[in-house]
Amino acid sequence: MSNNKALSPQETRLRTPQSPHTRVEQLLRKVQTARPVIDIERALYFTQVFKATEGEPPVLRWAKALYNFAQNATVYVEEGQLLAGKIGAGARYGVLYPELDGDIYKKALESVAARESSPFDLNDGDKQRILSDIAPYWADKTFHEALVKAIPQETFPLTYNRDEESSSRFVVNETASFRSSIQWVHDYETPLKIGFLGIRAQAEAKLAALDEFDPVDNARRKPFLLAVILTADAIILWARRHADLARVQAEQTEDPKRRQELLGIADACEWVPAHPARSFREAVQAQWFIQLFSRVEQKTGTIISNGRMDQYLYPYYKADIDTGFITPDAAQELLECVWVGMAGYVDLYLSAAGGAFNEGYAHWEAVTVGGQTPDGEDAVNDLTYLILKSKRDFPLNYPDLAARVHARSSKRYLYELAQTIKDGTGFPKLINDEEVVPLLLAKGASFEEAYDYAVSGCAEVRMPNRDTFTSPCAYINFAAALELALNNGTMQKYPGEQLGPTTGDLEDFATFDDFFAAYLHQQKHLLKHAFIQQYHVNRLREEHFAAPLGSSLQSLCLEHQLDLHTQFIPGGIDLGYFECIGFATVIDSLSAIKTLVFDQKSVSPAVLKDALAHNFEGFEPLRQRLLRAPAYGNDDKSVDAIGKIIDREAIAFTEQYGKSLGVRLDLRYVPFTSNVPFGKVISATPNGRRAWTPLSDGSSASQGSDVEGPTAVLLSNFNSKNYGRSHRAARLLNLKFSPSSVAGEEGTQALVRFIEGWCALRLWHVQFNVINQETLLAAKGNPQEYRNLLVRVAGYSAYFCELSPDLQDDIIARTAHSGF
Amino acid sequence: MGSGIVFNIQRYSLHDGPGIRTTVFLKGCPLRCRWCCNPESQSFAIEPAFDARKCINCGGCNKSPSARRELSLIPQCPSGAIFAYGKEYTAAEILDAAERDAVFYGADGGLTLSGGEPLAQPDFAVALLEEAKRRRINTAIESCAHVPWDVLRAAAALLDSIFFDIKSLESEKHRAFTGVGNELILENFRRLCTAFPHKPITVRCPAVPGFNAEEIPQIAAFARGVGSNVRFQAMEYHTLGAGKYVMLGRKMLDFPEVL
Repeated sequence: MSNNKALSPQETRLRTPQSPHTRVEQLLRKVQTARPVIDIERALYFTQVFKATEGEPPVLRWAKALYNFAQNATVYVEEGQLLAGKIGAGARYGVLYPELDGDIYKKALESVAARESSPFDLNDGDKQRILSDIAPYWADKTFHEALVKAIPQETFPLTYNRDEESSSRFVVNETASFRSSIQWVHDYETPLKIGFLGIRAQAEAKLAALDEFDPVDNARRKPFLLAVILTADAIILWARRHADLARVQAEQTEDPKRRQELLGIADACEWVPAHPARSFREAVQAQWFIQLFSRVEQKTGTIISNGRMDQYLYPYYKADIDTGFITPDAAQELLECVWVGMAGYVDLYLSAAGGAFNEGYAHWEAVTVGGQTPDGEDAVNDLTYLILKSKRDFPLNYPDLAARVHARSSKRYLYELAQTIKDGTGFPKLINDEEVVPLLLAKGASFEEAYDYAVSGCAEVRMPNRDTFTSPCAYINFAAALELALNNGTMQKYPGEQLGPTTGDLEDFATFDDFFAAYLHQQKHLLKHAFIQQYHVNRLREEHFAAPLGSSLQSLCLEHQLDLHTQFIPGGIDLGYFECIGFATVIDSLSAIKTLVFDQKSVSPAVLKDALAHNFEGFEPLRQRLLRAPAYGNDDKSVDAIGKIIDREAIAFTEQYGKSLGVRLDLRYVPFTSNVPFGKVISATPNGRRAWTPLSDGSSASQGSDVEGPTAVLLSNFNSKNYGRSHRAARLLNLKFSPSSVAGEEGTQALVRFIEGWCALRLWHVQFNVINQETLLAAKGNPQEYRNLLVRVAGYSAYFCELSPDLQDDIIARTAHSGF
Repeated sequence: MGSGIVFNIQRYSLHDGPGIRTTVFLKGCPLRCRWCCNPESQSFAIEPAFDARKCINCGGCNKSPSARRELSLIPQCPSGAIFAYGKEYTAAEILDAAERDAVFYGADGGLTLSGGEPLAQPDFAVALLEEAKRRRINTAIESCAHVPWDVLRAAAALLDSIFFDIKSLESEKHRAFTGVGNELILENFRRLCTAFPHKPITVRCPAVPGFNAEEIPQIAAFARGVGSNVRFQAMEYHTLGAGKYVMLGRKMLDFPEVL
C-alpha cells in the first residue's frame, strides 16, 4: 500500500492495534479469537419436552420446552460482564433448532466443521448425543420434510435437487426450512413498562373470562393463554437462576469491586424482567434477557432485532442521568456489554443453503436509531448520539446499527452519521423515512404506526403490534429466467430438464421486444412457482412452529389469543416479500443483447449463444464488447428503463396473485450473500459475466460496471423504481468509497450532501464500505494479520477473513468510488 | 445554442469548488505547461489514443501496436483500447447532464468548467454558464486566464466562484515552462479583482519542484495583495497524468522529478 494513501480509521487501527484498556475490549478479544462451537442444550431440552407432549397444541409444547430450558439449562455470568445471560458455552456459540432441520443432522454434522462457508466446531460427545438423543426423534417430523412432501411435481425441480437431503437448486429458493420466522421485532417497550408479571396478569384475567363451555375457548384460547403464563414463569425463573449464580460468584470472588458488580447483577436479575424496570441498567438487562430468550424460542431468520432502542430506553436513560444515578460513559459501557454479548451468539445454519445465504456467520440484530416519533417529529435524542458514539469508539459488527433519516433530520445528526460511516466499519446503514413511511401507509398502517417503524434484519422494517406475517419467503433467481429465455426453457447447469416454458431460442426472435417478452414470460413462470411454494409454506408453518414469547409481545396475538405463527391474525398487516436475485445482471444482459444483437446487429444470435455455451473461451473480443454495452448503475435512462419494466412486471404479478394468498408479498432486492450461490447455477451471461460467478447483489450495479460515480448509481436506482406502485419492499444498495473521497471536514460535508440527495431520491436503503482496495487484497492474502477487518456485505458487516474466497472476490470487485 | 469539444464530464467532483459538483473539461489550451497532468486537454481537436493495458491483442484492427492510434479504428476495437479524447456536445446536452445530479448539489454544489482552458472556447463556455444560470445551477471555473479580458469579464459575470491559476510571477520563467509570458494573466487578475470585488476568487498554484516551488510564498502574498476577496491555495504537484502521454503516443515533456 502506498504511504500517502488516506486510510480509514479502521485501517489505521488494523496497523496499530489498540491495547485492551476496558472490560469490553477484553470481552471482545475472547469473542474475536474464538471459532464458533455448537451448543446442544437448547436442542436437548426442547426435544425432551416434544417427546413427552405429542398431540398437544404447538404453542403449549413450546412454552413447556421454554420452561424446561429455563429450569435446567446452564446459566452464565461471564467474567467481567455487567449483564447476565448467554445461551451457550464458549465465547462464540451457535445453538440447534432440530424442529427445523433435524432430519439432515446426520449428514450435515459430518461436514459442518470443514465446510467453506461459516464452519463450526462440535465435540464428539455432543455429536453422539445429537445422533442418539436428538436427531432420531425429529426424523419425519421436521418442517423441511413436510415442505418437501408438499411441493408439487412441477414446482419441485425449480426448488430442490432430488438428492437425499433435498438440497437447494437456487432457482426458486424457499428459505422457510432454515428458519422458523422471518426477521422480527418485538414490542420491547411493554415488558419494560409492566414486566412479565404484568403480561402474566393480563393473561390470567383473560383466562378467567373464558366461557367454560365454548369449544374455541377450550381448544384454542385456553392453551394459548396457559402458554403465555408458563412462558412468563419461564423467563422469570431463568432470570432468577442468574441472580442466584451471581450471588454465588460474589461470595467466591476476592475482588471487592467485582463483588459489588455481581451483587448489582443479582439485584437486577431478581427484579427484571418480572417487574417494571426501575433504572437504565435494569431496562438493558431486561431487554437482553428478552432477546436471548427469543433465540431460545425459535430461529428467526436473521434473528430478533432490537427495535428502536434509542426510543424505548430513553426514559430510563434520561431519568438516571437527571438524578445522577448513571453517567453517559457508564451507560455506554452497559450498551457495549450488550453488543459484545450479541457477538457471542452466532446464527448457526446446518444446511449448506442456509450457510451460503448467511456467510461470515451473519446475523442481524438491528438496532434502530433516529427517525421520527409517532407524532412525526424528529426522534433523535441524547441516547441516539450515545449509540452512534459507541459505534465509533467500539467498532464491532454487532449490533447491526441502522439509522433512520428523514427530510428534516438535523445537521448534527447527519454529520454524526457521516462521521460514523467514515470510521470504516460500514455502520450505520441508512433507512429512508421518506420512502418507508408512505409505503407503510399505502399498505394499511396508520400514521402513528408508520412513523414508529423499526428496522428488522438487514433492510426490512417492522411495525411492532401491527405486523403479523412471519413466513420466510422465496428467493427467485431472475438470472435463471434470462438463461431460460435464451435457451428455450433450459439451463446449462441442469441438462436435459425442461425447467421453463418453451419460449424459443435467441435465434428465433425478430425484435428485441419479442425477446424481452420471452424473458418476462420466463420470469412470470418462476414467480408462479415461487407463489405456489409460498402457499404451502404459509399453510404448513402453524402446524410446526409456535412462539409463545413472541406472541406475548404482540398485542394482536394477545387480543385474539392466536399464536404469532397463525396464518391469519385479525387486524394484522401481513407484509411479506419475494426476492429478486441478479437484477443488474439481467438488466445489463438484456441491454447488451438489445445493443449488439438487435440495434447494431454486430453480433449474431448464434455466435452469442455459442460464446455463452463455451463460457467465452475463444470469444474474448465478443466478451469485451458485451462488457462495454450500456449498463445499469450509470444513470442511463434507456438501460434503467429495462430494469423498471422487470420491476413493474414482477409487481404486477403480486398485485394480482398475492391476493390469492391472502397476504401482501412485495418485491424486494436484499440478497444477504445469496448472489454468490445463485450465481453458481447460472452459466455465462450476455453482460460478459463468466459462468458460475456471483450475480449482481441487491439493487447494486454489476460488479465494476458502474463507472459514472456514486451519484449515478443512486439515480439508476431511482430510475428503475416504480414509485406509482406500492407492492415494493426493501432495496439494498452497497457502495464502496475510498477513504480519500471522504477524508477531512470537506469529505464529511460531501458525504452529508450525498446522504441528503439519497434521502430526496426516496431510495430505501444505502450502506457504505469505506476502505482501500489494497487493504482488501492484502487481507485476502494474509488473513492472520487482518482477522479484525470488518466489511459491509449485504445488509450487515462481517469479518472479511471469515467470508468464502468467492464472496471476498465479489466484494473486491465492487467498484470503489473516489471523489474527483 | 453553441456546441464545443469536451473531453470529460466528471460527476461527483469534490475538489473543484464547493460541495458536490459536475466538472466539465473543455478541450484545448493556449498554454503548454511542462508538468501538465492532462495532456489530452491541450489540443482543440478530437484525438485518438491507445491504452495498451486494455488491449487484448485480438488482431481485429489488423495493425501493429504503434499504428493502432487511429480514429477510424475505434469502432473495430472490442475492448475500448483504441479510443478518442474529446467529443462534441451542445450546451444543452452538458447542462442536461449536470442537472441530473442537481439533487446532490445542495446549497453550494453545481457546475464547474475546467479544461484545458475553458475560456479558450469562449462562445461555448459563456453559453454553458448562461444556461446554468437560467437553470439556477451554481457555477465555478478553473482557468489559467490567458484569454482576452472581454471573455474573462463576460464569464465572470456569470460565475459564483472562480479558481484562477497563477503559476509564476516571473514572466521569462513562465514562458520557458508554459510557452507564454504571464503579462496577460496578471493583468487579467488585477482587472478581475477590481471589476468583481465581491466575487470569491481562489488563486491556485501547483507547487512544481524546479519551477516555482520556492516562489509559492511570494505568489501567495501577491495574490492576497491584489484583492481582499482572494484566497490562496497551493496545489500538490503530481505525475498521475504520465500514463496519458503514453496513450496519446506523445513523448513526455521533461517532467520535473518529484523529490
